[in-house]
Amino acid sequence: MPKKVRSVFRKRSLLLLLFGFALGMIGAVFAHKGIKATSTDKFCERCHVHPHVFKSRKLSSHYATKSGMLVRCVECHLPPEGEGYLKEKIRLGAKDIYGFLVKDSADFNWEARRTVEMAQHFTSQRSCLKCHENLFPLTLTKEGQEAHLYYTQNEDELLCLNCHIDVGHYDPNRIHDRNVGFGSTTVANADVFTVPARVSALETFTETVPGTTVSFKMVAIPGGIFRMGSPEDEPLRKSDEGPATDVEITSFFMAETEVTWDEYLAFYSATGAEGRSTDTEGRRTLDDVDAITGPTPPYGQPDQNWGMGSRPAITMSYYAAETYCKWLSLITGKNYRLPTEAEWEYAARGGTETPYFFEGNPKTFTEKGFFGKLFGKENELIGKYVIYRANSMGRTQEPDRVEANPFGLKNMLGNAAEYCSDWYAADAYSRLPEKVKDPRGPASGEERVIRGGTFKSDAALVRNAARDKTQTDAWLKTDPQMPKSKWWLSDCNHVTFRVVCEFDENTGKQQ
Amino acid sequence: MANNNFSRRKFLAGAAAVGAAGVAGFNPLVSCSGGGSQKSGSLVTGEPFKKVSDLFIPPLLDKAPDGQPLKAGVIGCGGRGTGAALNWLAAGPNLTVTALGDVFQDRVDSCRKRIKADFNIEVPEENCFVGFDNFQKVIDSGVDVVLLCTPPVFRPIHFEAAVKNRKHVFMEKPVAVDPAGVRSVLASAKMAESQGLKVVCGTQRRHQRDYIEVYKQVATGAIGDIISANAYWNQNKLWHRNPQAEWSEMECMIRDWVNWCWLSGDHIVEQHVHNIDVINWFTGTYPTRAVGFGSRQRRLTGDQYDNFSVDFVYDNGMHMHSMCRQINGCAGNVSEYIRGTKGYTNCQNRIYDLAGNEIYSYPYPLDEAGTPMRSVAVNPYDQEHIDLVTCIREDKPINEAEATAMSCLVAVMGRVSAYTGKEVTLEEMLNSDLKLGPETFIMGDVGIMKNAVVPISGEAAN
Repeated sequence: MPKKVRSVFRKRSLLLLLFGFALGMIGAVFAHKGIKATSTDKFCERCHVHPHVFKSRKLSSHYATKSGMLVRCVECHLPPEGEGYLKEKIRLGAKDIYGFLVKDSADFNWEARRTVEMAQHFTSQRSCLKCHENLFPLTLTKEGQEAHLYYTQNEDELLCLNCHIDVGHYDPNRIHDRNVGFGSTTVANADVFTVPARVSALETFTETVPGTTVSFKMVAIPGGIFRMGSPEDEPLRKSDEGPATDVEITSFFMAETEVTWDEYLAFYSATGAEGRSTDTEGRRTLDDVDAITGPTPPYGQPDQNWGMGSRPAITMSYYAAETYCKWLSLITGKNYRLPTEAEWEYAARGGTETPYFFEGNPKTFTEKGFFGKLFGKENELIGKYVIYRANSMGRTQEPDRVEANPFGLKNMLGNAAEYCSDWYAADAYSRLPEKVKDPRGPASGEERVIRGGTFKSDAALVRNAARDKTQTDAWLKTDPQMPKSKWWLSDCNHVTFRVVCEFDENTGKQQ
Repeated sequence: MANNNFSRRKFLAGAAAVGAAGVAGFNPLVSCSGGGSQKSGSLVTGEPFKKVSDLFIPPLLDKAPDGQPLKAGVIGCGGRGTGAALNWLAAGPNLTVTALGDVFQDRVDSCRKRIKADFNIEVPEENCFVGFDNFQKVIDSGVDVVLLCTPPVFRPIHFEAAVKNRKHVFMEKPVAVDPAGVRSVLASAKMAESQGLKVVCGTQRRHQRDYIEVYKQVATGAIGDIISANAYWNQNKLWHRNPQAEWSEMECMIRDWVNWCWLSGDHIVEQHVHNIDVINWFTGTYPTRAVGFGSRQRRLTGDQYDNFSVDFVYDNGMHMHSMCRQINGCAGNVSEYIRGTKGYTNCQNRIYDLAGNEIYSYPYPLDEAGTPMRSVAVNPYDQEHIDLVTCIREDKPINEAEATAMSCLVAVMGRVSAYTGKEVTLEEMLNSDLKLGPETFIMGDVGIMKNAVVPISGEAAN
């Protein structure tokens, strides 16, 4: 009896097993077919309806390949099969479906998605390397050899995208070369100033830069004592913002806005180097030795194709910003320089002791934390004064987008971070003596202070007291020139500067 | 920065491993800097000892196997080029030389005559090329292999041209005299690898059987972890050629090339690189900074130093001291010395324990009287070519360009430090735009000799 049962069971189990196997096979075949069917370019096109994606793809070197091969969407946007392909397909697919159902593609900031910063999250480095197994083909140019050698020495920090971001979607404005023509457009029929502004008292004035069409407003900042840094109970503060210390500041003038491209290009064209063959030191004739050495041509497009004009100039090095001030001092007969960190914070606060110079709790503005992430808090109040992550559309904006602070300064918080002349030290404030006047920061250091947060910053980082520092190595990581530029940063598009002018005998101070 | 150092170390270790392990198969190039199948065998960083089977050892046959005829072209027909041609022809059956190139007619003629005398091979007149463009003509003449034996400043250009035309390469050390040249060779080395080309360099200790046996012992732990190293090349002055009235300035310098830094790299690079390369090979890594000094005391021609003393430092704090001198009448020493936690070695043929007791001695072949000879069975200059031909005919991987280029860069780092008096890092060297010599080469007056300045470091005393 048991034998019989067993045999029946055995028969059935075999049947069951066979049935299960067949079902599994059918499932696998369909799943395989499903994966294949949802990996075709046609399938991608069904949801990715924004036409520029396909237009730019057809113009790219991966579509019109020399060998006639056609690279499919999934071959770049997903990792190679067997290396997390399915997982990534599900992740990106879910994201795309959500976007397709809930969002309007016209609202997307497509340009920001084409930056390396964002593109690396939906482009697979491993897929690049799967097809481009040989990074040293015989046809590689000299420049390519140097660049690929550099890559093999810095694999952990570099992506193919750093240099080849336009190979999948063509970008007519992209420049990956020495940009000799940068900033050479001329302004027609504008009056050229012949004399600088004459200043006789601590009053706001408009500087007119001789030999250029450029003028800008310098706001008088009356001296005083303020509390530098943030109190320990300030929401979202970091430890390097304290201990808060009373600091006395002497009167000075500060530019109403961050240095604009118009202003910076005036400097560039006055001092820059036509026909210079290298990006190291300027090669000048002997007649020029008294003049200020100016920037060499940049590599790539410094304004990121966001537009210039009154937008803040970006991607200049600290050295370049300092040199700009020297040049401006020379031709205006005043003492222009970068602000100290103390001057900067004094000016930014405009007499306030709150986290921002306007009302509000950082916690209600931040997108950090669960609720912040879920609801993405844009707030009308902060948006009125600050260009930050929630309202910047991923780029710097023109100064007239925001309202000024109590001193009349615009974009002190947000838009682009600003160089200060202090060396950065996390414990800088604890080193300050009591009753300090016009502190200049640590005597030495490796990186400079930058202040004010950027268009990429969360609300937590655009507080009056928030501090940050330069990153010399990282900001030049992908500069392919040798030696790397001392004027232009290849990997930093969020730092600018703002000039201050000393209130001294040149600007009407009575001795 | 920490990140950066980490990846740099990885790259360096990886590159050293390629040197130590050659090329273990035709690997995806992207893995060269660490992720590849050949992990670093650095004994400096305390990694586990390796098995002999994990080490790259050239084939080391007594004669190369027979096979398809291989035609070589000699680029640079001076003493070493002629010597290399003879070593090549002696390496095995079915080997010939079919093209010669040099900037001087008399060099081509003497090389051609010697090949005829020793091997009864007549290099056709139409395949003998003279002028700065001789290398391209030799390459285009239908050869399979090129022997690159000019002064080293030209090597990067010649190597790149050879690789781009898919030629197997034997090239003399040094392979470059400056960072720009080193980087060019590193890139060409990767191209060669991707083409499966075989590249052997004239750092012949890597083909010398006694050195190789000691290397096996050290790599497998005979002296424990390495804790210090020394490299020496102290000898008499080398040769020089005085300028002749009928020679142009360029001709004067090239005929006197071992005395001009832009042509030779100075003797720390030109000659001492041998010893530095042995230390790099044995340790499986590279020093990352150097402080050195040197001077010019006795020399009459050229713009080079007589002596260098360099303290090379590794990331883990280990030091390698290197000294090299070319002055008559002083103590001589051409050797290496490596000390480990369990013993020490002269790298060539002996290993001792910490108390100085000999624990290994290379068994040299016996002569007819039954006493050990003083040299290995196959001299390493022949062995290089035997190994090259063997690897070509049996399609075994060998590509020494990267290891030799990196050893040259280490030597350049020492030179730059001595010339400038400053500490110099390997990172700086890898990213330096230093390039010696004129932009273009013409056989005429180039304004180098009369402007030549021997570097003096530091500031004058007051």
